[in-house]
Order: sequence, then structure tokens, then C-alpha cells
Amino acid sequence: MIDKSKLKDYANKLMFDMEDSEYETLQEEFDVILKQMELIGKIPNISSVEPMTFPYKNEDVDLREDEVRDYLTVGEVLDNTKYQVNDQVKVPKVVE
Amino acid sequence: MYRGKSITELRELLDKEELTSEELFDKAKKLAYAFQEDYNSFVTIMDDYKIKRRSDSLIKGIPYALKDNFSTNGILTTSSSNILKDYVPVYDATIYKKLRKAGGVLVGKTVLDELAMGGTGTTAHTGVVKNPWNKTCMTGGSSAGSAAAVALGIVPFSIGSDTGDSIRKPASFCGVVGYKPTYGLISRYGLFAFASSLDHVGVLSRNVKDSAIVTDIIKGKDINDMVTINYDKNLVESLDNDIKGKKLFYIKEICDKSQYTDKDTLKVLDDFYKLLDKCRELGFIVEEVSIDKALLEAVYPTYMTISCAEATSNNSNLTGIQFGPRGEGNSVEEIMFDARTKGFSELIKRRFVLGSYILQKENQEKLFLNACRVRRLIVDKMNELFKDYDGMILPASGGGAPSFDDSSEKLSSKYLLLENHLAIGNFGGFPSITIPFTFSNDMPVGVNITGRVKDDDLVLNMANKIESVTGYKDIYSKVGDIDV
Amino acid sequence: MYKVVIGLEVHCELETKSKNFSSAPNEFTKIPNINVGTVDLGLPGILPVANKEAVKKALYTSMALNCKLPDEIIFDRKNYYYADLPKGYQITQNTKPVGVGGYLDILVNGKIKRVTLHDVHLEEDTASLEHHPKYSLIDYNRSGIPLLEIVSDPCIESADEAVQYLEDLRDLFLYLGVSEAKSNYGQMRCDVNISLMKDTDTELGTKVEMKNINAFNNVRAAIEYEIKRQSELLDKGEKVVQETRRIAEDGKTYSMREKVDAVDYKYFVEPNIPSTPVTDELLDELKSNLPELKLSRYLKYKELGLSDEDALTLSKDRGVSDYFERVIEKSDVNTAVNFMTTSILSTLNKLEINIDELFITSNMLSGVVDLVSKGNISLDHGKKILYQAIDEEKDPNLLIKKAGLHQINDEDELLELIKSIMEENTEVVRQYVEDGNMSAINFFIGQTMKKSNRQANPNKSKEIITKELERRKEDAK
Repeated sequence: MIDKSKLKDYANKLMFDMEDSEYETLQEEFDVILKQMELIGKIPNISSVEPMTFPYKNEDVDLREDEVRDYLTVGEVLDNTKYQVNDQVKVPKVVE
Repeated sequence: MYRGKSITELRELLDKEELTSEELFDKAKKLAYAFQEDYNSFVTIMDDYKIKRRSDSLIKGIPYALKDNFSTNGILTTSSSNILKDYVPVYDATIYKKLRKAGGVLVGKTVLDELAMGGTGTTAHTGVVKNPWNKTCMTGGSSAGSAAAVALGIVPFSIGSDTGDSIRKPASFCGVVGYKPTYGLISRYGLFAFASSLDHVGVLSRNVKDSAIVTDIIKGKDINDMVTINYDKNLVESLDNDIKGKKLFYIKEICDKSQYTDKDTLKVLDDFYKLLDKCRELGFIVEEVSIDKALLEAVYPTYMTISCAEATSNNSNLTGIQFGPRGEGNSVEEIMFDARTKGFSELIKRRFVLGSYILQKENQEKLFLNACRVRRLIVDKMNELFKDYDGMILPASGGGAPSFDDSSEKLSSKYLLLENHLAIGNFGGFPSITIPFTFSNDMPVGVNITGRVKDDDLVLNMANKIESVTGYKDIYSKVGDIDV
Repeated sequence: MYKVVIGLEVHCELETKSKNFSSAPNEFTKIPNINVGTVDLGLPGILPVANKEAVKKALYTSMALNCKLPDEIIFDRKNYYYADLPKGYQITQNTKPVGVGGYLDILVNGKIKRVTLHDVHLEEDTASLEHHPKYSLIDYNRSGIPLLEIVSDPCIESADEAVQYLEDLRDLFLYLGVSEAKSNYGQMRCDVNISLMKDTDTELGTKVEMKNINAFNNVRAAIEYEIKRQSELLDKGEKVVQETRRIAEDGKTYSMREKVDAVDYKYFVEPNIPSTPVTDELLDELKSNLPELKLSRYLKYKELGLSDEDALTLSKDRGVSDYFERVIEKSDVNTAVNFMTTSILSTLNKLEINIDELFITSNMLSGVVDLVSKGNISLDHGKKILYQAIDEEKDPNLLIKKAGLHQINDEDELLELIKSIMEENTEVVRQYVEDGNMSAINFFIGQTMKKSNRQANPNKSKEIITKELERRKEDAK
């Protein structure tokens, strides 16, 4: 079973925390899904299959012509935050 | 007068000027409010009637509902999550733009499982959605409110999204039609991403034709979504094509009764086989095929693996910095951490951790890439079968909607093939539709038809024919016994 | 002495009308948040749509850098959380970069050095942060601007090489027209990785990383300081710490953070950008546009006999070099070099324009160069006319004709003029004939020029004067 402290570390790297009991549930879940995935690994010749990212080969793809078409006003950019100074989004000082 | 009417019926009322579209909106709104407390379909019910007048579309003046994970400029869009509880978008999803342009009238934004990551309709920040046929049962999800609003007769159609079965499963549980077209047929621009390679936009309605009408309006290439395709075939016009000699298959490993003991499931399967006979009477050729069980059993873990991995990344923008509730703290990291800790529910967090674990360098090969490989094997198998067959037909679930106390979101270690095969449609981007075909324990159950990529016309054509023999076309829950 | 091992990661913003994955403007501005699309802000529901021009320019640059090009274009996500990254991931290329391997030959202190490359990949820039004492501000204008990253192998061995490599890369970007590469606008930035090792060591030393340096002289300063600092540590038998350092205004580097463990970016293929094939047609198109590059032109000019300095000067800028090559197609090389390196380049400097904006076309210049090289007009005159032509925005060749500044080359005409001058100055003629006073020749040249309004061809005049004086000498005998 995966260590709870490891799970906490993973969660923290995703910028959140969970309750202790929640990590326990997660441990069980991991157990189940990893066992299922292990079965997948046993499918014959699985490693020789090319991983699939796109549902099907799309022959109809166009790259975008390089034209300015659509963008937001400053007002729209800042519409969803009240933390703003000089038309920019204000955050605590970022230490480089 | 209004409740439970189809697009075609409402069109007629409007054209004969027996009702105005504004009256339709008021009626829909009245129903929405009437059922809101008991069934909780909506996050937002629109105050004002708004219509684009210059349109000659079939849906001009017709009320509809939109899942609350589609971006609507100026209208609250929460994705049923606390992390977006006050978010008012500044742009429109392509689908919303198209529906508005066609004259569709938005009645409200519907409740979903938080961030569309769930299949129960129980995880929204505004509470549980209840099944119109029985309040103690789930609707399924994640397009829970969209399914419920149609099943309650509030709107003739609604828009949902489907990543694993999020339209087709709640459609089955709520006794409505749920259609997920070919991947890329409908633009996803403005759909809050769950798992981009599996995300589809689709329609819920009370009959196949209505789904076809709506899809004809919203389909097509979009410059804002690179995966979209041109699709010139008219779906409505194909609905009544002759289907004699069309070949359907069902999967032995899923439908073989001998492996089940549950009474509900056995009843559903009996009715399924009866339906297959009716299909044969219609002129279909229906055959049983066998697929390697290991492959079928891999569908669910493969779905979990890919969807959780993509979801972790897709939702990394939810930090409360440029939108959403700002967290507390003295550094950017602290405020992100606080916003995300408070903003996501436990289930979401668990899926994110799982997804990120799957993508870790040391696990990627064994977990993520292996899942992507199985995905290909499954899709290849389907495409091989689609060389001989025009479609796959299977029960959408092994029974009616579960009640709230007998199900949980925890991953089950049992392999419930019957409950989880719909994700195959997402793996390959296949057009897939669920229509109600029976009742079990007084709850509706749907049958699913899935076909070749871009054969949406044929899939809807076949579904339309099958719908004519189920006896459950245009059904809705008449609960409350009110009409307006 | 230690062997210095440097690897550079150069980021260059590509010049396009719109951003890499959104149709918002790609334009440098100081007004915050005016060039921001939904995609650049990472709003829920957005989808990236890849810019064809950015992809082309990236492939074009890779081609010029001798890289192996991919058969298809795909992108990957690099996942991490930072204030300047609104989506929480950067779209970049990990699986199939636009270029693998490759190299750039650079000229360092007269020798050619081959800097080999690991890869070239296309990605997007982040938002920019403005730091105040108590808070930081985010401006999303830069978010999503196409960024080409060129990763060198750890094969650079000195600050000189590093800076030369950067300069040559910048010249390459300008040659190809893929970027303005202004480092003061942050359009070209680099990360420096540096380690020291003993000659006898087989493994690289501990690597120190310095991120996001804009100015090339800061790259030099940082490298020189690090060489000194790390050498001193190693001399004392101490260890170099693996860390990220930054260069401060005092030219010293300071530790920012120790590298704990490598960040796992959890790369995976971007599912929203389906693969597009890199067709032979596209490759042929790019190839046919590929110009001869700086180093090759420099070597060619040396072959033509140009000095090292002139060859460098005339090959540095593609516009200047193209112009120069058009001039010498029709006229003499040496005279052309003289005009180019003095009049033309000084004019460009003075007017702060580039050569495409100069009124004088290469055709006009080659006309003037031709007249001068054939001795039809003097060099001085040629230059004088050229400056006048620039001032008045007129064709210098027309000015020469119109102002009558065209030379008198007709020998009969010159002879008649010279004869009449000699009539008027019989005493000077006598001094030559009888006393053999050679200065008489110069006197008559001066007079001829004066009487002809400086239009007489000086060489021809001298020839005729000498001949006439000699003839009279013979006659006198």
C-alpha cells in the first residue's frame, strides 16, 4: 500500500491538502486501481502497442492562420478578480 | 399544454401562433421553479426571456437548458464546484453561441457532478439531484440536472457533456434520450475541460428526432476547437432511411445472463433480448460476438487512468488567482493552496492525486501509457467489428437508477462490465446514443447503440427505428401532476 | 586550471501577428493586459489553436540550424504551478520537438567552433510579473507569445564562446526574419548551465544554473564570475553546490535556491492539438526560402579579398549583405566595399534606419561605383554625390548627369581645352620644354580641372597634357 505521507506529498504538490481520513480512503482507492492496472500490464504484447492520444486519426485538422481575431478588453481580463492595481492582477510578492 | 412536449410539437404551436415563445419561456421557468426544491436540476434559472429574432431554425423560440460547465458570458457558470461558485464568464461557449443564434431560449444552467467528474449527480456544491421517477434514487451523472430537466418535462432538450458516459448514463436512469456524437462533431470551446481526449458535447431529449434536430444546428467545424470536423450530412433527413439488412452486434461477455444473479439485471437482460427480437422484426441482423474479457475488464481502469490524468492538468487553472474565490496567505503558493484546499471536494481531490500519480515520471510508462495502449487495443477491436457491423447494441446499464443509500463513488473492485462499457464510445470517439427501452422496479433503463466514427446519421437512423418499437418514445415523469 | 563546460538554453520570442495558441495580438506594449485572449488567461473552457506561422518559423529555424525535423507536429503539456502560468501548464514540445540535434558554427577569435544542439522546441511564453516592495502584479500580455527554445549541448567552453554563440544566434534569427530578438524587450533570453571539471575528470562537475538573463554582457559577467568562484572553491578542495543563482547588478552571482530534487513536470501529449503532418511540400517551401547564412557569406567575402573586418561587417546583417551582393554583381568589389563600409553604413547609423529603408537602391549605388571604378569620376566626387542624393532623395546617377558633373572623357574636347590653356601660359610651357620643370604637369592639370569646372577626367587630362608637353619638347629640338 502506498504510504500516506507520500499521498500527502502528492496532494501538496497539486496545491491542496486533505483530511487524514480522506487520505485513508485514497489509500484504498489506490490499492484497487493499481491492482486493476497491473492486470492491464499483463495483456500480451502491451508494450509494443503505440499509445493512443487522439480518438481517431483526424485528417481534417487545420493550423490557425496567423491573424489577430479575438481577444479580451482589459475590463474583461480583470472582471473576475477584485485584486487589481494599475490594470494588473495583484498577488502577494513573488520571490524569484 | 407545454410540459413534456417535443421540439416538433412546440414548433407547431409556435407556428400556428397558439403560443408565443415568451409564453413558452415563462412556462418552462415556472416548471423549473416548481421542481427545483424537490429535484434540484438547476444552478441558475434565467430571469429574463432573451431571443435572437432573426432565425428560421426549428428551435427558434424553444426553451432549453445548458449544463453549468458551459461558458456563458455574463451568466454565472460554476461547474457545480465551490472553486467557481461566483465565476461569471466573459465569453460564450461555441455551442451556446450557436443555440442563441438559432433562436433557442435558455431557461437555465443545470447541476452536474462537481467539475463533471462523477456519475451520480450527488456531488454538486448546490446539493444532490434527484431522479424524476423516484426521489430516493440518483439521476446518474454527470449531466444530472440536464437529464432531470428533460425527464421532468421542463424543457424539450438540454445540452450535456460526456467523458465516460456522462450523458448516456443519466439518460438511461432518467428515461430520456442521450446522444453523444462523434468526437469533434460538436465544438468543445467553452466546455470546462474534464479529460480533453475523451470530452464530448451532446444532447438530451425525449426522442431521437429532437436530438437530431439540435445536433444539426450545433455541429460543425469551429476555429476555436482544433479537433472539430466538417460534417455535411443532415441527421434529420437520414432518420427514416431504410435499415433493412443493417447489422448490429452485442457482446456475449456483457450480456450473458448466466453470470448474473441480480433480479433487476436479469429482468433488464430479458427485456433486452426481447428488444433484439423486435429489431430483427424491423429488418436488422443482430448477432452475438465475443470479445476478450481481459480487454473488457480493462475499460474501467483505462478510463479512470486517462481521465484522472488529464483532469489533474485541465483543472490546474483553478487557483483563485485570476478568477474564483481568492485564498488566504502570504505568498502566491499559499493563496493557491488555500483556494484549492477549500474549493474542491474530497472526491475531486482524490481523483487529482490519482491522476498526478499516474503521470509521474516513474509511473507514466506503466500506468498512463499502458492505459493509452489499452485504449488503442479496445478501439482497434471495435473498428475491426465495425467492418462487419453497422453498430453495437447493449443495455446502457444493468438496472434502473440506484437509490442514494446503495451506491458510492468509491472505486469498486468488482468488474461491472455492464455498468462501465459506455466509455468505449469515448475511447474511439464513436457516435453513441442511449434511448429508454424498458422499466425495471418502476425505473427506466436505456439501451445504447454505438456506431462507426462519423456515421452519426446511421446511428441516429437506427436508433430512430428502434425507438419506434420500444413503446417508450416521448416519455417523461408526470410527477407533481402539473402542467402550465 | 579547470575545463569549463557551459550549456545554454536560449528562448526567443517569434515574430507573428497573433499568439501561439490564441488569436490575440503578439505585440510588445507597455500598457498592461491589452493583448490577452481567453486562452492566454487560462479561463475555464478554453482550447489552444496552434498558429501555422509560428510552426513554420520554428521549423524554418530548425532547418537553418541543421536539425532533424519531425514528421508531424504535436505538442506536450508541462505541468507546474506558478503565478505567471495561468493555465497551470505550459504547452511545449517534449515528445517530438521541431528540431533534434543540429548545430551552429560560430567564429570565435578567428576560429570556427561548432556548437552542437540538443533540440529546438516551440512553446509559449508566460505572463510577466512586475515586482513591488509588498506585492507583485501580473500582466498577461506576454502570456502565450510563441517562444522558440534552443537547447545547446554542454559544449561551450568560455564566456567568449557563449557570447559569440548568442550573437550569432541573434543574427541568425534576424537573417531568417523569425524574430526581432531584442534582448532589451526580453524577446531573447537565456538560461546558463555551467560546471567546471579537471582535465583528467571523466564526469561533468556539479552544475550551477542561472536563469533568464537578457543582456549578453550579463551572460559574460555571470560566466566569468562563476568560473572564478567555482575555481576558488575547487582550489580549496570545497564542493560546488548544485543550485540556481542569479546575476546581480554588481556583476556577481548570488544563490537563489538549492536544487532539492528535480521537478517532475508530468509531461503528456496535448490532446487538444491533433497531430498535423510536416509535408514534403512545406519542407520544400521552407528550404527554397533559406538564405545563405552569415558565416558562409563571411568566408565568401574573405575569398573575394575583403579584410577580416570588412567581411564581418558586411556579412553581419542580411539586408546589408544582400544589398552588397547585388552591388558587386554589376560593379567592382573593392570600390563597392569602400562605399558600403563608409558612406552606406554611416548613413544607416546616422538615420537609424535599416538598409531596406534607404533611398539609395543597390542599382543606384552600383551605377556610382561603376563610374568611380572606371575612373570616370573621382571617389570623392562619387561620395559627395551620394550624400547629396540621400539628402535630396534623388538617384545619384541622375544628379551626376543633371548637374553636368559628368566627366569630360572626350579626348578631342580635352585636347582643345588643354591647348587653349597652354596658349595662355606659354611661360610655363617654356619652363617644361627648356628647363625640364616637371611641376608644369601638375600646374596644367590644376588649370584643366579649374577651367572645366572639375569635369575633366583627371587621368585622361594628365595623359594628354604630358603628351602635348612632350610633343612641344620634341618640336623645340
